[in-house]
Amino acid sequence: MDIFETIKSPLILAIVIMLLCGLAYPVVITLIAGVAFPFQANGEQFTINGSVAGSYLIAQGFNASVFFHPEPANFSASGIDPTITLADAYSQVARISNATGLSESTLTGIVNNQSQYTIFFFGPKFINVVQTNLYLIKKYNAIYSKYANLSG
Amino acid sequence: MSALPYVFWTAFLFGLIIALAWAISKYLFAVYTGKKGRLDRLFDPIDKAIYKIIRADPSREMSGKEYFIVLLVFSAFTVALCFIILLLQGLLPLNPQHFAGLSWDLALHTALSFATNTDLQHYAGETALSYLSQMMALQFLEFTSAAIGLCAAVAVFRGFSGKFKGIGNFYYDFVRSVTRVMLPLSAIAAIVLVASGLPQTLGGYVTANTIGGGMITLPVGPVASMASIEQLGTNGGGYYGANFASPYQDPSPFTNWFEFVLMLVLVTSMPFLFGSMVGNRKEGRTLLIATYVIFGINIAIAFINFTGFGPYMEARLGAFSSVLWTAAATSTMTGSLNASLSAFSPFVIISALLGMFIQAAPGGLGGGVIYLLMYVVIAVFIVGLMAGRTPEYLGAKIIPQDVKRAVIAFISHPLLILIPLALAFSTGAAAAIGSGAVPNGYTQVLYEFASAAANNGSDFLGASANTLFFNISTGIVVWFGRFISIAIMLIIADSMSKRQRTPETGLRTDNMLFVAILVGSILLLAVLTFMPFIVLGPVLSLLQGFHAI
Repeated sequence: MDIFETIKSPLILAIVIMLLCGLAYPVVITLIAGVAFPFQANGEQFTINGSVAGSYLIAQGFNASVFFHPEPANFSASGIDPTITLADAYSQVARISNATGLSESTLTGIVNNQSQYTIFFFGPKFINVVQTNLYLIKKYNAIYSKYANLSG
Repeated sequence: MSALPYVFWTAFLFGLIIALAWAISKYLFAVYTGKKGRLDRLFDPIDKAIYKIIRADPSREMSGKEYFIVLLVFSAFTVALCFIILLLQGLLPLNPQHFAGLSWDLALHTALSFATNTDLQHYAGETALSYLSQMMALQFLEFTSAAIGLCAAVAVFRGFSGKFKGIGNFYYDFVRSVTRVMLPLSAIAAIVLVASGLPQTLGGYVTANTIGGGMITLPVGPVASMASIEQLGTNGGGYYGANFASPYQDPSPFTNWFEFVLMLVLVTSMPFLFGSMVGNRKEGRTLLIATYVIFGINIAIAFINFTGFGPYMEARLGAFSSVLWTAAATSTMTGSLNASLSAFSPFVIISALLGMFIQAAPGGLGGGVIYLLMYVVIAVFIVGLMAGRTPEYLGAKIIPQDVKRAVIAFISHPLLILIPLALAFSTGAAAAIGSGAVPNGYTQVLYEFASAAANNGSDFLGASANTLFFNISTGIVVWFGRFISIAIMLIIADSMSKRQRTPETGLRTDNMLFVAILVGSILLLAVLTFMPFIVLGPVLSLLQGFHAI
């Protein structure tokens, strides 16, 4: 066993691989991502009146009773799950209907339209609370404008 | 709800994984036997440059001892580099949130844990680590530890095969594992993941004024580049504390199932590669079937008493995905979870513990198949004794020395769990973090050391185990858990490579009878050794009527 090969070579190899896999690789992926998929690469942010109001992928509090509410922070594993089960969404329809005057069937229809399967084409369904509330704000602006922080 | 669609979906997923693994094994065979290919024009200059910089001769045969020493010394240097970066994080660039350096024991634990492909995380990445640390300390080690698993497996395959000069050269195997396997596959997967919603940016966290009038922070970062290697390399060290439960690491059903496939595809290619390298594909097939029979049993256990969606899961992923993923993450030694272990019934925990006790169904990348060959040595020996014939494998005699070594490798695993487990309770270290000597508390601490010894990395304790005792004890356990079995199997393989091969006269190892023998031996060894561990924890919880732990 050559002592140079067993001590110096592994050390230099470690430094070379650190620069290759720990720096060059993530930086190159970041550059490609920034050019090809800037919306996703920056965390799927949305803006209202020009200022960042959240991400479609991260839960945010919607306290007013006119909105669909996400799970309480510690119910999900992440604490920031923006989605709720279809059953949870249905259970909120009556409250939202009372608060907004929109009919329960209209709201149920919106929930159904927004819902997705957990396994592409079967399995339990869920809705994204952020997306669904943004849809409500856009569609029923007259009702929702006074509840939403639309000034930015 | 009918279970049938779920059964079909699972069958489809595993069909896809096995088909992809078979195709990849052809490529891996070319990579490790030096077969010429079209991609050489791209990779050869890179590899040659690296060999030149490190002044190593990749064509020189190494003994099992030398191969292991170089592998170990290299791993130690990667630990040192990672440790320094984590310690000095506060002074280094790419730290937009101005996180301070980690304490020495947390930095050391994290470095040891990632260098051994374990990735136990006693911190939450988004509130503790800078972008530079996530990339240059952790993603770096996810590549090296995955590549080391591949190297060890390939070297052991060469020795068992007897069709090669020896077990090969570490530098040759390592450089090719990085440049031709892990880097290109991770890059492709990372781009797919960014396209489907994972962040990949070096800009700082974003503050948002929410619709409801509050403020939230969006913890973006170089996430996709980490999620791809952590799954492909069966590392499991996530960007976020919640790992794949975080919507930024697993935003949708598509990303979830894509990442699920990533976790299993390379480990599943290992038995195919073994078959190609020993020159008899049937030998690889028996290993694959044995692995998947045990894996299937583990999945079935996890689904006993399946109760559907509940707390500590993610609605977009669903209960079925969380349970299946957990069984796979603990059977592959990946350890990345997409729900919290607190969500699950004791059956899921029993399945997870069994996966980590057996370590070979399918086990971690490289490490799993090595462990499987250790079981093969023991099984062939036991059957040889019963039949009164000299035990043989692939035409080579299995000598008592091999079996002694294999048994040492096997016995080291329960010892690495039992000793620190006893210390944790006798010194009060477990009680200090709220894990009392009751079934739940015992299960949490047992799980921590089982996960450390198996180089899995899933855990109940998370950042609460950031204490001197747990950082140091699990740090020691991950190191020995990783390298004892690699050392022993390299030495057995080295010795086998020099043995004379005769036409096989003993027990045939390429048929279904051998699958049954192997599966039976593994289950028997695992049950005899580990049953008391499980009875005191999740089984007792079950008897006491606890639903979730």
